[in-house]
Amino acid sequence: MSPAPVPLGVEDTDLEDDEVVDADRPWIVLVWNDPINLMSYVSHVFQKLFGYSKAKADRLMLDVHEKGRAVVSNGAREKAEMDVFRLHEHGLWATMQRDD
Amino acid sequence: MILRRRRPHAFERDGDRTAIRLGDDERSMLVDLAGQFRAVVVDDADPDLRRLYPTAYPDDPERDADYSGLVHDDLVRTRIAAADTVMATAGAVSLDADQLAAWMQVLNGLRLLLGTRLNLSEADEFDPDADDAPTRALLSWLGFLLEEAVVAASADLGCA
Repeated sequence: MSPAPVPLGVEDTDLEDDEVVDADRPWIVLVWNDPINLMSYVSHVFQKLFGYSKAKADRLMLDVHEKGRAVVSNGAREKAEMDVFRLHEHGLWATMQRDD
Repeated sequence: MILRRRRPHAFERDGDRTAIRLGDDERSMLVDLAGQFRAVVVDDADPDLRRLYPTAYPDDPERDADYSGLVHDDLVRTRIAAADTVMATAGAVSLDADQLAAWMQVLNGLRLLLGTRLNLSEADEFDPDADDAPTRALLSWLGFLLEEAVVAASADLGCA
């Protein structure tokens, strides 16, 4: 991702970390780092599509940026596929796989 | 990190709408680019489109073919509709939330297309003498517009 021109307002990092991986839900949706998407835009898309708080969306975005990828949602296959579709619609590099 | 030079805001929030603060040259440039984007997104054979139509199942070609068959036309349709919205509203005083979202989709889509063509990497530095400098400058301008649009659109989050 391209660096944002202003520092990101990442606060509330001590927020409860709602675990995105649940053993009952076999599919995970991953977003991968790329050199084109803007950091602010990626965080915006996470907030818009998944209703995440700015703090959580920024944390996921930074995970993508620093670790190369992040799990952004999970669920049944149909739900995960819909999430992937909406991420693709917004230009993010998303894939899905079984959580194993 | 890149610190962009300050310049006047491209978009300004005005109640539930977003005012466009662009000059005529910039507006006609956007109409031109949106028209090119509209023409390119339907070309399945263009390898530079791979970031616009990514793989969903990297380890399962069969499922991926099913996914692609299911969503490809929808992805094309939504991009054509977004490009049409940009062309129709490029001269407008302000945008509603849906129109602003369409602008963001086109701005980001154009960046993905140009960035793929440039074979961009995060470590790249801008070289004004390089052959691809005009495309890089365009990419940077689209990035500025998108950053501004993100700020304006943040007011629409949480009320969907």
